[in-house]
Amino acid sequence: MSAFLTYLLNGLAVGCAIALIASGLVVIHRVTGVVNFAQGTFAVVAGLCASSLLGLGFPHGLSELAAILVAALAGLLTGLAAIGRRGTTPLSSLIVTLGVGVLAYAVEIVLWGDQPRSAPGLAGSVTLAGARVQTQHLLVIGVTAAAFVLLALFFGRTYLGKALTACASNPYAARVVGIDTRLMGLLAFALGGLLGGIAGVLVTPLRPISFDTDVTLIVNAFAAAVFGALTRPVITLAGALLLGVAETMAAGYGYGSHQLEVALGLMIVVMIVQASRRSAISQEPA
Amino acid sequence: MIRRVAGPAVAAVTLALPAVLDDSALAVYILLGLAAMVTVGVSLLMGYAGQVSLGQGAFYAVGAYTAALLSLHGVPPLAGLVAAPVVAAASALVIGVPLLRLRGHHLAFATLAMQLILLSLAGQLEVTGGDIGLQAIPQFSVGSFEAGGASAYAYLTWIGLALVMLVTRNVITSRPGRALRALATSETAAASSGIPVGRYKLVVFALSAAFAGLAGGIYCFYTGYVAPGSFPVLISIQYIVMAVVGGLGTIWGAVVGATAITLLVQGLNSLAALPGMPSYAPGVLSYAVYALVLILVVLFLPRGLLPALSGRFDRDRGHR
Repeated sequence: MSAFLTYLLNGLAVGCAIALIASGLVVIHRVTGVVNFAQGTFAVVAGLCASSLLGLGFPHGLSELAAILVAALAGLLTGLAAIGRRGTTPLSSLIVTLGVGVLAYAVEIVLWGDQPRSAPGLAGSVTLAGARVQTQHLLVIGVTAAAFVLLALFFGRTYLGKALTACASNPYAARVVGIDTRLMGLLAFALGGLLGGIAGVLVTPLRPISFDTDVTLIVNAFAAAVFGALTRPVITLAGALLLGVAETMAAGYGYGSHQLEVALGLMIVVMIVQASRRSAISQEPA
Repeated sequence: MIRRVAGPAVAAVTLALPAVLDDSALAVYILLGLAAMVTVGVSLLMGYAGQVSLGQGAFYAVGAYTAALLSLHGVPPLAGLVAAPVVAAASALVIGVPLLRLRGHHLAFATLAMQLILLSLAGQLEVTGGDIGLQAIPQFSVGSFEAGGASAYAYLTWIGLALVMLVTRNVITSRPGRALRALATSETAAASSGIPVGRYKLVVFALSAAFAGLAGGIYCFYTGYVAPGSFPVLISIQYIVMAVVGGLGTIWGAVVGATAITLLVQGLNSLAALPGMPSYAPGVLSYAVYALVLILVVLFLPRGLLPALSGRFDRDRGHR
């Protein structure tokens, strides 16, 4: 029983990290209509940055914060490439973000080499109802909960958040009332970078990260975001938690080598079910 | 006029090349030809059917593993090479029925997922040799003739590419080819004018998979081994880069794109191998080239290199 509880809590922590990356995908897609392939890259960049800064002797907190800001900057630059030029279609933008992800490989290998790196996190573990849980896992869960609450407040209660939502629901009307949709798009990319960065610094102490970890991160995050049809953050969170728990349980009960297949298979099934429920005309680009 | 001469001229020059190139140059020639074969399929799929596949490398792998497994079990290599595109196309038909209901980025991610699942399975199954892969694949042979040197594989690649281009040309100039062009513009409009959209998309998907499978089959005989590591996700991205760079929906554009990217990466690799360069230089340079070329072409030459160049040429002639 305690093993089950351990797996459950570990799974929730893994799911929370996926949820943070996925929420970045959702934010960007809601505002710009672009699926950002480089979303996993932001987490990798932040994780590698944090490990370097900590290695140089900078204190905890400061290092993580700096790494997250670097990821936000990376998000902004990705946004400039993907939607900075007028008349780029969402599919072209997807291919551009794919290019940004590959470009990041080159930069990451030059700066950090191609070997996986790790970073120290919160040490120790606590015992909850007979299950031992690493403190870092609890930190991941706590930070994710806070991030989702803040995101909800930001989108629901602030003018800036409402302006972002306006761009998503009707770009033309948003422009008519004086909202700069391109600026909002760039802001969404920076926010996506920020969220990916938070996930990156939280995950690096749990599992070592290397330049090509982004592929697993992005497919997991996309799988979670697909649950919420790429627009609904709360369902995305639920999807990510489900995914994290399913993967950890598969690993814990001896099917570890099939983790990836579980996640990807689940994603494909969800997408196909969703696609068959929507009519063809509503999906046709205007 | 130029177009009529250019094709046969390119054919004649490329046919003569294997006789004069040395082995390392022949390796580039063969890999270039194989990449072009897959890229023609990608160009057809993306340019005509409007579908993005980030998993084309998976069909390349299916072809390679099919030919390798068959010939390792005593089947004549020629039969293995024929089976490679057939099995790749068949698997595309099976996978395509559910997957092609997806569009745009959903399809892109689903095909990427398909390749990751396939690689993970190939790395774990006994039949495929796990992570080590399959080794000691016999040389390609037809009857008593055995392909010993690289030049034999160069000619085999040439024949394969010519076949692929010929099939593609006949497909796109046919009546279904026009239907495909309609489908790429608007699926709804195409469907309402009576085009069986789903079936056509599936056939193009299978055809592009067959091209990749054929290339994979030749590849496994040439290198003599296949392993999951030979088919990273980057290889699928590389085909997209080549197709986009050359110009989507054009046969020669795919070949031009594959040639341009292969030679560029090859040139930079030999630059990176110079003494004094860090050991990671080749990898870094090829990542950077794929990325920058892809981003710049998508943003500034959305129709691709060849259409942009020939468009300029036609305009210049028009002025005179």
